Parts: sequence; C-alpha cells; structure tokens
Amino acid sequence: MREKRRYILVRILPYGFMPDRKDLYLAVIEAATSLWGDVATGLAQPAVVFCDEGYAIVRCRRGTEGDIATALATVTAIADERVALRTVATSGTIRALKRRIRPARPLEETGEVVIGEDSFTTYRYPRQKVDLIKKGTMHQKSLFFTREDLEER
Amino acid sequence: MKATDACVCPYPAGDSTLARMALEARELGFDSIVVIGEGDGEPRDLRILRGVVISASSQKEAIRQVRKPAVRAADVVFVNAGDTAFNRAAAAVEEVHVIRNIHAARRGAFDHVAARTAADRGTAVDISLYPIIGFRGRRRQTALQRYADILGLHRRYDFPLTISSGARSILEQRSVREIHGLCGLFGMTEDEVTCALSSIGRLIEPYRPVRVVSE
Repeated sequence: MREKRRYILVRILPYGFMPDRKDLYLAVIEAATSLWGDVATGLAQPAVVFCDEGYAIVRCRRGTEGDIATALATVTAIADERVALRTVATSGTIRALKRRIRPARPLEETGEVVIGEDSFTTYRYPRQKVDLIKKGTMHQKSLFFTREDLEER
Repeated sequence: MKATDACVCPYPAGDSTLARMALEARELGFDSIVVIGEGDGEPRDLRILRGVVISASSQKEAIRQVRKPAVRAADVVFVNAGDTAFNRAAAAVEEVHVIRNIHAARRGAFDHVAARTAADRGTAVDISLYPIIGFRGRRRQTALQRYADILGLHRRYDFPLTISSGARSILEQRSVREIHGLCGLFGMTEDEVTCALSSIGRLIEPYRPVRVVSE
C-alpha cells in the first residue's frame, strides 16, 4: 500500500535566488541528517518535488513533517550561497501548497548605490524592501535595506 | 510584549539594517526585538528595545561596566556567562537582566546556586538559537546539552528564560513557529517557549507592589 505523505512549502530567501533542485535537496538532506541522524532521515524520506519562483516544496512521510520542518530551519546555505528556508505551510497535496505561492518579483526600478568602496545593484521589492547585491564577485555579498534606509544615504 | 527576539545585531555589525530586520521580525510573528549595537531608525509597527552586552572577566569589572552611562541608558543589560563564581555573582547584580552565551560556558558553570539567585533576583538566562542553527556536530551537541541542563534548572527554580536568534542578517532570523520546533530539540514545551518569548517584557517592567509616590 502506498504510504501517506506530507508536503512542506518553504520560501527561499534572499529574494531572486533560484537554487538548483539538486543543490536544494543536498542542503535539506545535510541539515536533516546532521540534526536527526541517518536512521530518522532515511525513514522520513525527504525529497524536493518543486523548486521555482522563490519557493520549494519538500515531501516527507506523514508524521515526520514537524521534524523535517525543524531541520529546514537549520539550513543556512545552498551550494555555498547563504540562504534561509522559511516554512510557509504544510499540506497533504502539492496543489494546495501551490495555491499559496506568492512570488516576490523585483519592482522594475533597479539602480546602483555605492556604500564605502563597494558598488551595489539595488533590487526593490514590495513592502519597502531593497536588496543590495555587490557587483563583480562570484559569491556575491548582499545587504538588506529598506527604501527609507537607502534614501537616508 | 508577547513575542520578543532577545538579540539581533543589525547593520553595520551585520548585513541587514534595523528597519529591514524589524520588518522581517514582524512578518515572522514578533512584536518586539532587542537590538545590540548601533542601528538607525525607529520602525513604526514593532517595539525596539536597546540592549547592551557586558563581557567581563570578574565580578568587579562587571559591576564597573554596568555603572557606565551607556549601560544605564539601555533597556536590557546582558552579561556573557563565565565560570561558576562569575555566574553566581552576575545573577545577583541588580542591573543585569540576562546572562547570555551560556552554551559557551563550561558544564555546570551555571549551577543550582546561580539558578536560585537568578530566580530570587529575576535575572534571566538566554537561550540563543544561533548554535542550534549555525553549528553542526559536536559543537551543536554541546549547546543542546547546556540548554537541556538550563531547562532542568529552570523547571526546578523557576528563573526566567529568554530566547534570541542572535541574528546579524535577515537570513538568520527565524519565525516563532520555527523557534517552537528548535527549542523542542532540547525538551522545551510549547508553553515554556511561549513564556520565554514573552519574558523580556516582565524583565524590564517587573511585577512589583503598588507604591504610593505622593499623597
């Protein structure tokens, strides 16, 4: 008989970071194994079934969703990029979770700003949020401001 | 104050400004945060408390530092934990609100004497989530052991606990729901987490008998 499963919707921060599904899976497995061990993680059978638009859906066996959600809170990096995975909801179907996806797309007005000696590209998001990405580095340095913070400079 | 993140370090110490961290904290279910260090701006929809951290090697030095004007002006005074004698003394200092960095102290450094003093004086012990989120392997196991020990003493002596993310970035902040899960790792119940999240308000405005100041 097919086992019951649960699906966890997570939002990926920072905005605009689109990780590879396999890299995300490896990060989730590393976090779960480190926290709960091989046995518990193996029995929970976590898998990434969706990763797009700044969101991901992680599948696991029913009854283990609390443990996997806790493990997701300990994910700090995907493929050497600093991230956070914020649990949004848990459900028994992927469809129900996809209805809750609200992609955060940058507003059209992007710009540039110099802080200290570094030059940053600014990406504005709803609710006054502004992400600053340093130019010209492989592992990009990011700063997280609000519109007011930027105007005060 | 129902849910307070007891320690965040905004830009320039971290990579996120105070306003942005406040915005994220609001979305994550907090109604107040304690800010360590510099941070410009005063967000409208979240209460900001100013905190200061004292790192001292002796009780005398700690007392000297808590009498500095900058420390007196702070809403919440933290002291980094040290050895057993230091922690016993720190718990008895009236100006100290919270003993933090307990995960970095030796096992038994915060003992039953310090716990009883903390309970009598209303001094809290901080549970930082940073070691649970950021560390792996032995270091995280040690932190979980320390927190389990503190929780045992808390249940016996009933001193306050606070919970902090220690975040220097919005990427290190965690939601109230995630904090419940993370604190469950060392045995904290839902009620204990809820109580710990709201304890900062009771620390800075403790319940005291009504005092008549003029007739």
